[in-house]
Amino acid sequence: MSKNINRADWADDEEFDDPSVLPPQQITTNKDGTKTIVTYRYNDDGKKVKTTRRIKTVVIKERVNPRVAERKGWAKFGLEKGHAAGPSLDTTSVGENIIFRPSINWKANAKEEKLDKNSVKEQLKDKKVKCRICSGDHFTARCPFKDTMAPMDEAGGAGDLGSGGEGPEPAGGLSGAGGSYVPPHLRRGGAATGDRMGGKFERDDLATLRVTNVSEFAEEQELRDMFERFGRVTRVFLAKDRETGRAKGFAFISFADRTDAARACEKMDGFGYGHLILRVEFAKRSQ
Amino acid sequence: MRPILLQGHERSLTQIKFSHDGDLIFSTAKDQVACVWFYANGERLGTYHGHQGALWTVDVDATTTLLATGAADNTARLWDVKSGKCLKTWEFPTAVKRVEFSDDGTQLLAVTEKRMGYLGTIAVFDIKVDVEAEQSDTPRMTITCEESKATVAGWSYLGKYIIAGHEDGSISQYDSKTGEQLLNVLVHESDMQVNDLQWAPDRTYFISASKDKTAKLISARDLQILKTYPTDTPLNSACITPKKDFVILGGGQAAMDVTTTSSRQGKFEARFYHKVFEDEIGRVRGHFGPLNTVAVHPKGQGYASGGEDGYVRVHHFDKPYFDFMYEVEREHARR
Repeated sequence: MSKNINRADWADDEEFDDPSVLPPQQITTNKDGTKTIVTYRYNDDGKKVKTTRRIKTVVIKERVNPRVAERKGWAKFGLEKGHAAGPSLDTTSVGENIIFRPSINWKANAKEEKLDKNSVKEQLKDKKVKCRICSGDHFTARCPFKDTMAPMDEAGGAGDLGSGGEGPEPAGGLSGAGGSYVPPHLRRGGAATGDRMGGKFERDDLATLRVTNVSEFAEEQELRDMFERFGRVTRVFLAKDRETGRAKGFAFISFADRTDAARACEKMDGFGYGHLILRVEFAKRSQ
Repeated sequence: MRPILLQGHERSLTQIKFSHDGDLIFSTAKDQVACVWFYANGERLGTYHGHQGALWTVDVDATTTLLATGAADNTARLWDVKSGKCLKTWEFPTAVKRVEFSDDGTQLLAVTEKRMGYLGTIAVFDIKVDVEAEQSDTPRMTITCEESKATVAGWSYLGKYIIAGHEDGSISQYDSKTGEQLLNVLVHESDMQVNDLQWAPDRTYFISASKDKTAKLISARDLQILKTYPTDTPLNSACITPKKDFVILGGGQAAMDVTTTSSRQGKFEARFYHKVFEDEIGRVRGHFGPLNTVAVHPKGQGYASGGEDGYVRVHHFDKPYFDFMYEVEREHARR
């Protein structure tokens, strides 16, 4: 940089970039009133660092006590002597956000929260992630054979969590004799029929309710809100007409827990919703 | 609510005070330096150098001109708030555990430790609230605590009484003119030290925090117990929030037990109780050690807590805090 300062010859006034020179700071004003400032500097390792900051300036007018305003302008002293205005990073930092909501039954709430957390944790304690396609220890969605293989069939409908103990099978479709291709519906001795393809939806049949006589103006979220009172709802399916987008009049609600489903079934059957009276029953397995 | 962490101290905090207008926070710790910070953004304005021992206490007068500190080097000092200059040093035979200005700033009390054959005392100085003025060398009056040493003390409304909390769990009321003891009431369990005493804005009542795991709201005139806030941990500090009818209690197990337990069990939280109904309404976590001191903004907009972990955490209350009301309060507000 310094050699450029006392240049003598026009020939030295070359265009090429001296790699040690930092590009100047760029300030651009964006359409939404914010400013983008791009600065360059060298870090401790001597590497060039580009910093892009987007700054929004908001003017907040505040009336303050004149004594307070005067004190704001006081010079710093002691260890802070000579430091620039504004909080310094080595003494002042911002902590993580704390949600503080005073409430009367604070204790009860805190306890419940703790219990909730514990029970979920306990449920998941001995669970390992297991791929349904190749039994590897990754999520099914991440399976490398996702597109090429169908999921291994699992024994039960509802027992997703319970199936962890099953012995690992030789990977899906390759288990057939001689390694030749076996269509999905013939795998595992042909026990599985074609309609089990959508296994994902069927596994929780035991805790799924069929709701009929639903108003055609119903929304999935409304149904979810109504049924969530009884327990954790894992899935809400509201059949809709493809063309009009209106509800067809029936819906399926899956619960995480069968007892919740039973309770919901009992309570919501005959419930007035919209201008109609709901009919709720346990979904029958499609044949 | 996003707290601002102030890391200006190298050792555990001992006291925090807000200036009368609420814009400055003064903090003292055992590391011999007092700090002053801006409440709004946590910027450090300066530090006060001169003490040779752990600082135990700090107070600022109502005009934010003078700052008083007391330390384990057996001195109390008076500082110019603006420049950080030491204006006056008073020597005592023992450590100074507490200083407090009267509400008009013309008197200062200093509580000294009982040690080395000296009894605990409360010394009262006349102060001229002026940086230039010559301050008196000797106390106007000295109250000697013969039975049990005073740990904390403060001025009641109009500087009428001096109220002191003692090591044996009692609270006494002295006439601030003569130094005569008018009342002595055992409000906390006996031999459970009173760790803090902070005033309501009008100084007609105060809150005391004690090692016996309770904080009590006490009237200054007759030392009658108005309210009791029981907790499950020894309390180091308590304050009364203006604007909302809450009290904030800070505590945690004794510093010597801290390393043996996790921070979850250590109960290092600021506890909020409703001042009138005595219910616990919430807690604020964050410190890694017991809270040694809590102080509330004089307009009730926020609070600061200082812990054994050496941090000051400054909290600005947000909407749910101000919105919270009991049903009766809401009804009353509607009317």
